[in-house]
Amino acid sequence: MIRRLFRTSGRELVLLAILVVAVVYLGLTTNFLFYTARDGTLAFNARTIQSLLANSAVIAIAAVGMVMVIVAAQIDISVGSILAIAVFAAGYLDHLGVPPLLIIPLTILAGAALGAFNGFLVAFARIPSIIVTLATMTVFRSALLAVLPREYLGNFSKGFRALGLTTFLGLQLPVWVMFAVVAAGAYFIANTRWGRTLYAVGSNEEAAALAGIRVRRVQFMVMMVSGAFVGLAASFHAPRFAQINANEGLGFEFVVITAVVLGGINIFGGSGTVLGAFIGVLLLGLTKTSLIFLHLSADWEKFFQGMFILVAVSIDVLRTRNPLARTRQRLARAAAQPEPTAAGQEPS
Amino acid sequence: MSRLELRDIHKHFGGVRALKGVSFEVHGGEVHALVGENGAGKSTLIKVLAGVHMPDRGAVVMDGETLHLHHPSDATSRGIAVIYQELVQYPDLSVLENLFVHAQDVRGPFGLIDWAKLRRRGREVFQRMELDIDLDTPVGQLSTAQGQLIEIARALTRDARFVIMDEPTASLTEQDTEILHRIVRRLRDDGVGIIYISHRLEEIFEVADRVTVLRDGSSVGSERVENVDPGRLIAMMVGREMNNLFPELPAVTGDTVLEVRNLTRYGVLDDVSLHVRAGEIVGLAGLVGAGRSELARCVFGIDPIDRGEVLIDGRPVPRTPWGAMDAGVAYVSEDRKLDGLVLPMSIRDNMALPSLTRLERRGVYDVPAASKLATRFFELLQVRAPGVDTRVEDLSGGNQQKISLGRWLAREPRLLILDEPTRGIDVGAKSEIHRLMTELCGQGLAIVMISSELPEVLGMSHRIVVMRGGRVRGELARDDATQEAVMALAATDEPIQGGAAA
Amino acid sequence: MSDQAPTDAKPRRRFTLTVEWVLVGILILVGAVMAQLSPEFLTLSNLLDMTRFIVEIGLLALPMTLIIITKGIDLSVGSNIALSAIIFGFAWHAGVPLVLAAVIGIATGTLAGLVNGWTVAYLGVPPLVTTLATFGAFRGIALGLSGGRGVSGFPDWFYVLGQGDIGPVPVQLLVFIVAAIAFGVLLHVLGYGKRVYAIGLNERAAKFSGVRVRSLLLRLYALSGFMAGLAAIIYVSRVGTAKGNAATGYELEAITAVVLGGTSIAGGVGTITGTILGLAIIISLRFGMILGGVSANVRSLVLGLALIVAVLAYGLLTRKRT
Repeated sequence: MIRRLFRTSGRELVLLAILVVAVVYLGLTTNFLFYTARDGTLAFNARTIQSLLANSAVIAIAAVGMVMVIVAAQIDISVGSILAIAVFAAGYLDHLGVPPLLIIPLTILAGAALGAFNGFLVAFARIPSIIVTLATMTVFRSALLAVLPREYLGNFSKGFRALGLTTFLGLQLPVWVMFAVVAAGAYFIANTRWGRTLYAVGSNEEAAALAGIRVRRVQFMVMMVSGAFVGLAASFHAPRFAQINANEGLGFEFVVITAVVLGGINIFGGSGTVLGAFIGVLLLGLTKTSLIFLHLSADWEKFFQGMFILVAVSIDVLRTRNPLARTRQRLARAAAQPEPTAAGQEPS
Repeated sequence: MSRLELRDIHKHFGGVRALKGVSFEVHGGEVHALVGENGAGKSTLIKVLAGVHMPDRGAVVMDGETLHLHHPSDATSRGIAVIYQELVQYPDLSVLENLFVHAQDVRGPFGLIDWAKLRRRGREVFQRMELDIDLDTPVGQLSTAQGQLIEIARALTRDARFVIMDEPTASLTEQDTEILHRIVRRLRDDGVGIIYISHRLEEIFEVADRVTVLRDGSSVGSERVENVDPGRLIAMMVGREMNNLFPELPAVTGDTVLEVRNLTRYGVLDDVSLHVRAGEIVGLAGLVGAGRSELARCVFGIDPIDRGEVLIDGRPVPRTPWGAMDAGVAYVSEDRKLDGLVLPMSIRDNMALPSLTRLERRGVYDVPAASKLATRFFELLQVRAPGVDTRVEDLSGGNQQKISLGRWLAREPRLLILDEPTRGIDVGAKSEIHRLMTELCGQGLAIVMISSELPEVLGMSHRIVVMRGGRVRGELARDDATQEAVMALAATDEPIQGGAAA
Repeated sequence: MSDQAPTDAKPRRRFTLTVEWVLVGILILVGAVMAQLSPEFLTLSNLLDMTRFIVEIGLLALPMTLIIITKGIDLSVGSNIALSAIIFGFAWHAGVPLVLAAVIGIATGTLAGLVNGWTVAYLGVPPLVTTLATFGAFRGIALGLSGGRGVSGFPDWFYVLGQGDIGPVPVQLLVFIVAAIAFGVLLHVLGYGKRVYAIGLNERAAKFSGVRVRSLLLRLYALSGFMAGLAAIIYVSRVGTAKGNAATGYELEAITAVVLGGTSIAGGVGTITGTILGLAIIISLRFGMILGGVSANVRSLVLGLALIVAVLAYGLLTRKRT
């Protein structure tokens, strides 16, 4: 059912299994899940899971947009800088006294506008997205720094902070937003015409154009939508902190792309799922948390994340490189063994 | 009865006049063939009908109404479907998704895709075409022939009234071609109008009702197929009479050059043995997937082998392309654009690439030597281009094929493997290549020619080896070979008749 | 037959010249504007001194040009500098003679490059994904090993490499000039260069023409690692400390220089001259603006916009051709 609804591939299930095994292992060997309370009973360690999810929210929401971008055979490495601008936009809107519920759409709009700038250069000026966003990564952030009077912002209203800190059923609001966005995104990309069009454009742009898909419009839209998702993430990310900083989102693009790649997307476009990317985000978050629980230095985090991708992608490549390979190996093994001799016959 | 008409279509790109007045018409329930040499304007014409290009002058008229096709979706919505030679497919999407990915009316409630409904429609179309392909298979796993059929199915899901097919059988075997022709006829009987473009004249007589010839961007005439013969069509296409289709082959006198002994690559090739003598052309016939190109790739060292040996002049051939090249093997591959030529590079650099190690002096690329080498073969092969600095992508298909041949001749090989040497090139260039092959084997070169075109196999081989399912099915001497005999070996498992020895 | 497209006599050569002349034009324009902003800009000592800060980027950009021409990319070079620097620093700290430690550092960079090359060429993982992973992994090793501590206190003579001059010329500029000439010969004179272009334009065709694609790519990524190792030694000498967060973001600066220099990210197009001009434009823009009192943020903004404008211009140039 899930498979049909979200049109998953096998990759997500493997990643999910790794995630479960990792959680169970950490739960059994460390106090990741349960700790011994003062009265000697085992207590559930809710804080870890809560903070793991809360820290993943901003990445996961942006990752939904990134999946759409990469499926359409583009890339967006300006997301970190868009995040920084959007976070400050949200903060300043609060200072202006804009009600929190209005800040959300306005921040999304801000992100979408920046994304549209990328989209225009990609779709209509025909500059490869990796170059466009490499440039706008610098342009956006330096423009922000140039106009900011101070490199930090604080003193937010209670209503604004509530967007980030309100808890419901033990989980913070950003986490619920993350769940909603991931579910909606996964369903949307698999079950709407626009969603499937992304796969068509990403797997064969020329063919899609010949068949009447307005490829440039799709490319423009997808870059804009990516910006909008980052805006949405920012509007729930900023209120989590008492103070926001202009270096917010430095390296964010690498985290998001890493998570999405870990989730099994084809970097050349045409295949990949939101669900895979989401599990990728959780796995990345878990790497960091488990280092702490395994008493390893957090300095090794990037090393393990890098190795994760390398191993995951290598397995993928080896598995799919040659569909004949497995059959051939089987036949080779069969041929290597001596012919079975029928009963009663003497082997010569 | 519906009717699609082109009236005096003109189109130019920059200074090039691609179409200079094309007029013809096609009715519903008719297969109308369109033939012409490469560059006659067929592709441009298709793109005009598809809404990709707007004509400068002239009109496309459907049932008396002039159509304004500004965008591919305009053509689609008027019931015109184009099936391009390069298939419009998305390898990672399923068959079902490929069928409907361009469709506009797939929305169910809430703007979401109604997969169940699409599945029903897909099944209906497949039933109409008598196709048996799983709707959930990723298209990347299908064969070229199946892909071709998926394209037709897609056109049908959109209730196309006119279907334009560009070289639909260019990469199909005779057997798959049969299936395709059956479906084309069925569509015609359903009242669909079909414009059928092909280089293979035989199939035009098999499938078409009428034929229009294009030459240099103009239509030079339309005829009912009953009223013309191949010779007349060729004359119309090239503007002159062509009588002798294949040149005379010189007799074989040389020693064995290539010997393949019990070559096995599990799942692909099974115990293949073969020999070719100096000055001999051996035709490799068989259906697509019979293992012919795979055999060539193994001989050339691109693919590994599991058992057996490949010998040139009695010495084993190293298992790498560069090793095989040094041993005297040259492989002109099937798809010159994909794995033959580096299109954006100059003729000189393309000619030099296989010989690069010989053109280096302590690693330095000797440009004058490369120019000399390129010029020699440029002139020998009569390539039509301004000079060796011209980029290969600016050449016609026939001239490109000459370059991909010439670059290997420059290495002075012992064995030349030609994989579909004349696919997709026009009649004139084709006979030049055939003449060249004859000359080469006269000079003692051993040639293996893989071809899916039976007349070519019969006309250009001293000996014909037929493969099926990765095995050598049989061998026919030139005098015993007929189309029927080759097909019997290639396409059936019937016991081998006299005259053919395994 | 009838379908010969009209062709220029030497279309490709004419095109490459055009891009490079555009760059020269931009460079002169930038120089003129900067000279207006600040009279000191055009003095020789200034011009030479400002190169000191871009040599490491330049050393990365040279192999990056070749890699991008093969349709690849190497995002790991910045992290590789950090890794090589840390290993170098640790080796020296552990008592290895400084020169030998430098060799070990460069060897580390080369080995890291080999890991990239093997993964790309023999495992078949796309370069963007491979080097995204090693971007994290190499930096992770550097950070993990150093634990946030740096190595410093090298002997005085070592700092000559990154801070000294020979006459008016910074020492590391000489290193770069030698490297640039070597890469120019590699790409434009040797048969190797033809193979690099062939791979970028059509990898399969290159393979079917007898080019040893895998082995070439393996060596190319290893070369990129070697240059990162070399840049690491210069970096440590210039900055004075080997630390885990060294050279952050250098990979993107190197890619910017290469792309600014007219190399197409789609592969098959690009020259060493273009990359050198790209570097020259970046450095003169940056330092001209410093002299003119332009703030750091506006400087980055201008550089980012310059990249967009340049690539836009190349796009228009190529489109006019077809």
